[in-house]
Parts: sequence; structure tokens; C-alpha cells
Amino acid sequence: MPSIRRIAACAASAFMAAAMLCTGVAYADEPYDGYNYDWYGDPIPSQNGYVVEKVVTGKDIGCGDLNTPSDMFISDSDEIYIADTAYSGTLDSNMKGRIVITDSKFKLINAIEYLDFSEVGEWLKKREDAMNAGTLDQSRYAKETSVYFKGPTGVFVADDDMIYVADNENERVVAFYAEKDGSGIGYGRVVAVYTRPEEDVFDQTQTFNPSKVLIDAAKNVYIVIDSTTKGALVFSREGEFNGYFGANRVEKTGEVVMNAFWKLIFTREQIIRMQRNVPVEISNFDIDSDNFIYTVTETKNSETDILKKLNSAGTNIFVKLGFDTYTFGDFLTKYYRGKTYSSRITDVDIGENGVINLLDLETGRIFQYSNECDLMFIFGGTGTQKGTFTTVNAVESLGNNVFVLDGRKNSVTIFGRTEFGAIVHEAITLFNTGKYADSIGPWNEVLCRDSNYWWAYVGLGNAYLNQNDFETAMDYFYYNSRGGYNEAFKGWRMAFIRENFTLFAIIIVVLLAAIYVISSIRGRQRAKKRAIADMLLREQQKKEE
Amino acid sequence: MRFDLDLPAWKWPFYVMRHPFEGFEDLRWKKAYNMKVAMVIVALFFIVSVCEQLMTGFLFDFMNVKIFNVVPIVIQSIVLFFTWVVGNWALCTLFDGEGTMKNICVNTAYALVPFIIGKVVNIILSNCLLRTESAFITFVSYITILWSVILLISGMRTVHQYSIPKTLLFMIITILAMVVIIILLVLLVSLFQQVYVFVYSIYTELLYRFSNLEPTTLILIFIGAAVVLVAVVVTAYTLFEKYQLKKEMAKLRTK
Repeated sequence: MPSIRRIAACAASAFMAAAMLCTGVAYADEPYDGYNYDWYGDPIPSQNGYVVEKVVTGKDIGCGDLNTPSDMFISDSDEIYIADTAYSGTLDSNMKGRIVITDSKFKLINAIEYLDFSEVGEWLKKREDAMNAGTLDQSRYAKETSVYFKGPTGVFVADDDMIYVADNENERVVAFYAEKDGSGIGYGRVVAVYTRPEEDVFDQTQTFNPSKVLIDAAKNVYIVIDSTTKGALVFSREGEFNGYFGANRVEKTGEVVMNAFWKLIFTREQIIRMQRNVPVEISNFDIDSDNFIYTVTETKNSETDILKKLNSAGTNIFVKLGFDTYTFGDFLTKYYRGKTYSSRITDVDIGENGVINLLDLETGRIFQYSNECDLMFIFGGTGTQKGTFTTVNAVESLGNNVFVLDGRKNSVTIFGRTEFGAIVHEAITLFNTGKYADSIGPWNEVLCRDSNYWWAYVGLGNAYLNQNDFETAMDYFYYNSRGGYNEAFKGWRMAFIRENFTLFAIIIVVLLAAIYVISSIRGRQRAKKRAIADMLLREQQKKEE
Repeated sequence: MRFDLDLPAWKWPFYVMRHPFEGFEDLRWKKAYNMKVAMVIVALFFIVSVCEQLMTGFLFDFMNVKIFNVVPIVIQSIVLFFTWVVGNWALCTLFDGEGTMKNICVNTAYALVPFIIGKVVNIILSNCLLRTESAFITFVSYITILWSVILLISGMRTVHQYSIPKTLLFMIITILAMVVIIILLVLLVSLFQQVYVFVYSIYTELLYRFSNLEPTTLILIFIGAAVVLVAVVVTAYTLFEKYQLKKEMAKLRTK
């Protein structure tokens, strides 16, 4: 008969094995470590807000392999558009690139392989006349009227499902509706073509290779080209060039300051010969539901204007306010295994509730910010595993998912939100919509799961500050937010003085009285001393006489 | 000059503080230089510097120190003070300065008093003021620094009996001398570090060789070896000296 002890041992071991098996199944590690930044700007480990759900390749979509896709867009009707840049089709040896259209589950709807210009005959005629008159280059005419794409690098879909494609090497932006011909091959029914502006404002020696395109509510077309630092080119709906939008500022480096100094001394000729300080060109943009345009700048060496939120006048709303500055991407430049890493933000996406996703080309990371620029999550990385990337090109979000397009792996990685991520999102959304009291619960839950999560403290502080609970707010803001602490301390100090006014008044009156009494006593003592000294002196003088 | 001054030693710094120009003259005349008071002031300077880092209000704490370290503060207060004293003394004795090391030390310490008081006031203010009221803190720190600098100039002038331009010139040169002293100190420290590393590597080497021995025994052996080495050197030297003496004696005798 087995002893009770043996039975217990067996049961315990079985239970432990089961537990181990269970954790083995449930344990899914990500190839990247979640981290976040604290108030000091130091990176600290944190929980992952997003984990990989699925990786989708061209074969999964059902359209053959993708080849160096460089842009992705999710329309209002939840259709996904991918600019498959280097795709070489079977229709013609000249074609390079297509637009793949899928639904939100990545099921193929259409793949635009060629264009149909029959609806813009008038425009075609004009172009032909211009070519015949000699004002338009023959090769440019051929490019602009080509029925095939050549390296499309940007895609945007307006709310009426009109597709805008930045056809990079063909020097044009085409606007078309997706159609299907008899044999089932997708084609674009072209509605408008935007070509190189002929106005003098645009320097004619510059190349015109549209890399990204965007449409605002008034159907103005914004085009990013790599060759200008003046900002995005703005075209009206009819195709007239209206000027530039959203140029960056020149960063105040030591060199710039020195140049400004030399300019004071140099002669005109010398100044002309000097190297000019130009800002870095913007590299990508997105538009939110309130018609604000967000631009990003892909650069290693600059800190200014990495992310800008522009109103319709082109003014940046994300500016430095008071003591707090906005920093985007990784705070520090890291040197690791013979390579320096420093953030190069290549794409921006505005998701639900104004959540900002920034994509870092250098480290393959996605930085997710709330609409108030509070860093929420960092996920992704470089590598060959699921959830890491080699050359990230585009980020988009739909609902709780974040999609990242990798141009080297030719795949789309779908990230899903974790429970932790959902709680943080809930808290930030509640807070930013003004429901401060409701956000206390989720924020506390966040702190239970990750006590290092900086913004939870700031959020709680703000929530308590809003309820005029200054002391608690001060506790939460202490070494977490200087601005918040300032406000909380202001309130606390006011309340403190108001409550103890009589005490303060009494102390001040007593102090003043004490000072008066002591000084008068000391004055009298001094006078007495001096009188005695005088007397002694006089007596001495008398004696001498 | 007041000749009837009869103050206790601890009151002198405050008297000097309130009389920037003739205070030091009185101090000199009365020969009231007190090293104990000076050392107390230097200690206070150090303590207040520590307090500044630990107790400054969050709104005005721009040092962003996550982990407190006392060594930089020791260097910034005590080491800096004594390098100033040594540097100034070393220079000015060569250029007709009348100050002794003690007098320079005392005068410099007394000149620091407003600066220390300003720091204390700022620590208190930084816990009571808002960010928008930071002008008060800036004001206090500027005023007290200016006051201390004036006191220092006056003190140096009096202690060396220099003219004002000469004082200023030698204060600037003193700063250069301090730089030199600090460089030499750093060099010395790094050299001693090397010696330490050398000794420590021998120790570890022996530890590996004689792994059957206890580390404490090894240390004792080590000390013993060092003592033996020193003894051998000393005896050899004394023997050598005796030999030399003998030679001299022999020479004298032959003469």
C-alpha cells in the first residue's frame, strides 16, 4: 500500500508538471523587449503593449510575391492599399510596380497593374500639343502619359475611394478609380494627373520625383519630393501649383551659429560663397480626421521638427511649451556591436483617438504616442524573427491593430494590442476626453502591472489635481512632472496660506515686535556702554591735566 | 578702523561680512585669525552643498541626479577650497605677499559666508516658490555670489597688502595655479591607482598559487614580506653608511 506521503509526492509532481506544461504553452516571448522612458530620460524595462499576431506575405494575400513594397494605406472603408514598388508584371517589360488592394483581413480585392487615360483625353491632348510645340520634353511626355507605373512609392485614398499614387520615376501623381477589365486584371480609370509645376516658384533645375502623396478635406494634393527642403508641394484639385507647405526649421547647431557670426563680418562675395544652412527635408506625412497634417523628418543628425502637427496655415502645434520639450524616437544614440543607432523616423500614422505611431527605420521600432505626445509604447526591432524588421517602410493602424510594412522582407506584420496596452489606451483616452475621475481606475491598474510606467503617475497626478486633491497630486507628480507639480503646489500653497492665515499673521506681528524690543534694548545697552567709556576717557583727560 | 573691537571669535566672520572693506583690516590689526572658525565654515560649506543637492525643491532641482554621490561635492567644496588656499599661498609668497597660509585660509573661509547663507536661503525658497517666481532665487544667488567675490577680493588684498589691480591679477593666476595643482593631483591619484593595481595583482597571483592558504594568512605573509623587504633595505643602507664612514675615517687617519 503506497504511503500517504508517496501519494502526495506523486500528486505534487503531477501538478508541477502540468503547471510547467501550461506555462510552456501560454508563454509566448516576443523577439523584442518592451521598454519605456522615465522622467530622467533613462530607458527602463516595461511591459509590451503590442505583440505580433500574424505576418502576411504576398502569397497569403493571393497576388504573388510583393517586391520591395514601400507604402501602405488604410482607407476609410477599411481597405488596405499597398504600393508594390518593384513589382515586374507579365503585361509589359516596361512596367514596374502596382497597387494591391485588399480588405481588412488581407483578402485580395484588386491589383491595379495599368492605367486608362480615356477619361482625361483633354489633358492628354494638351500635353501632346505642348510636346509638339517644343515646351515639353519628349521623354517627359512619354513618362507622364505612360499607362504603366514605374516605381510607385506613395499611395493615398480619399474618402470617395479615389486612389492617389505617387508614381516616383514617372514624375507624376495620378488619381484614379480602381476598376477591373474583362480578363480580371485590375486597372485604374484615371481622373487627374499632377505633373511637374511650370511656375517659376519651382526651381526648374530640380528633379520632380514624388515620393509620398496626401489629400486634405478640400482635395488639395500635397506631394513630398526628395529634392526640396522647402516642404511639401501643394497642388489644387485642378492641378495648379499653389506653393509649399510645412518646411522644417534649420537646427541651431554650433555651425549655424558660427555662420551667423561670420555673416556679420564677411563681404557680400564671401557670403555668397559660404555654404548655406538648409533644413532637412520632410520625408513623410499623414492627415488626421480633424484635417491636421503630421509631417516627419527622417534624419539622424537633427532633433528639431522630427514630428510636426501642422494646422492649415502650416504652423506647428507641437511646439516647446515652457520647460517641457517634445522628443520623438529614442532619446539616446546607442553604440552597439560596431554600429551606431539613432532614431530615423520614416513614417507617421494617426490612428484612433489621435494615437500617433512613429516608425523608426534605424531600429525597426514603432513608437506609439497619445494625441498629447505622451510616449505610450515602444515595440518592434531589427532582425529576422517575427515582429522584427530589416527595412521598415510604412506603418498604419486599424482598430486595435498596428500594421508594419517591411520593404526587404516583403511582408506586412500585424501587431495586436495586449491587455496592458488596452488598459493604457483606455486610461489615456478617458483622460484626454476630460473624464479625469474615471481614468483613476485604469491608471491604478496600469501601475499594478508596471510600477515603472511613467505616464500613469502623471495621469493620476492630473486626475487628482483636477479634483483639487493637491496633496495627492503632488505625491504623484513628485519627480514625474515638473509642470504638473508646479500647478499642484500652487493650489496647495494657496490653500495652506488661506487655512493658516491667522497663524502667519500672529507670527509676523510677534516677530516684528520682538525685533523692535530687542533692538531698542541693545541700543540702550550700547548707549550706556558708550557713556561709561566717555566718562572714563574724560576722567583720564582730567587726570592728565 | 575701530580699535575698541573686542569680539568673540565666532562673531568675526559676521562682522567681516558686514564690513567688506575695513573688516579684514580690523581682523589683521586685531590678529583675530581663528583657524577653528574657518574650519567650521568650510565644513558648513560642504554640508550646505550636500543639502543643496538633496533638499532643493523639485521645481528648482535641475541637477537631475538619480543616484546621490558625495565625492563630486567633496571635490567641489573642500578640495576646491584648499587648492585655492595652497595655490594662492604658493604664488603670492613669491610675489611679496605678506599672507601666511593660515591667514589666507581664514580670510577665504570668512569670504565664503555670504555664499553659504545665500545657498541656505535658496534651499528654503526653492521649497516655497513656484516656477514663475524663480526670479527671487536667481536674485539671491547673484547678490550673495557678488558679495562673496567682493569679500574675497578685499580679503586677499588685505592679507597680502596688495593694490587692487595686483590682487585681481593674482586671483586670476591663482585660478590657473589651481588648475595645475588639480592636474598634478589627478596624475598622482592615477599613479597610486597603478601601484595599487600592481600590488593587488601580485596578491591575486599568490592567492592562485597557494590556494591551500587562507586569504588572511596570505595577507599576513604579504605584510611580513613587505616588512622584511623594508628591513633588508634599511639594514643594507645602514651597513653602506657605516662602510662609507669607515672609509672617511681611514682617509682622515692617513692624512
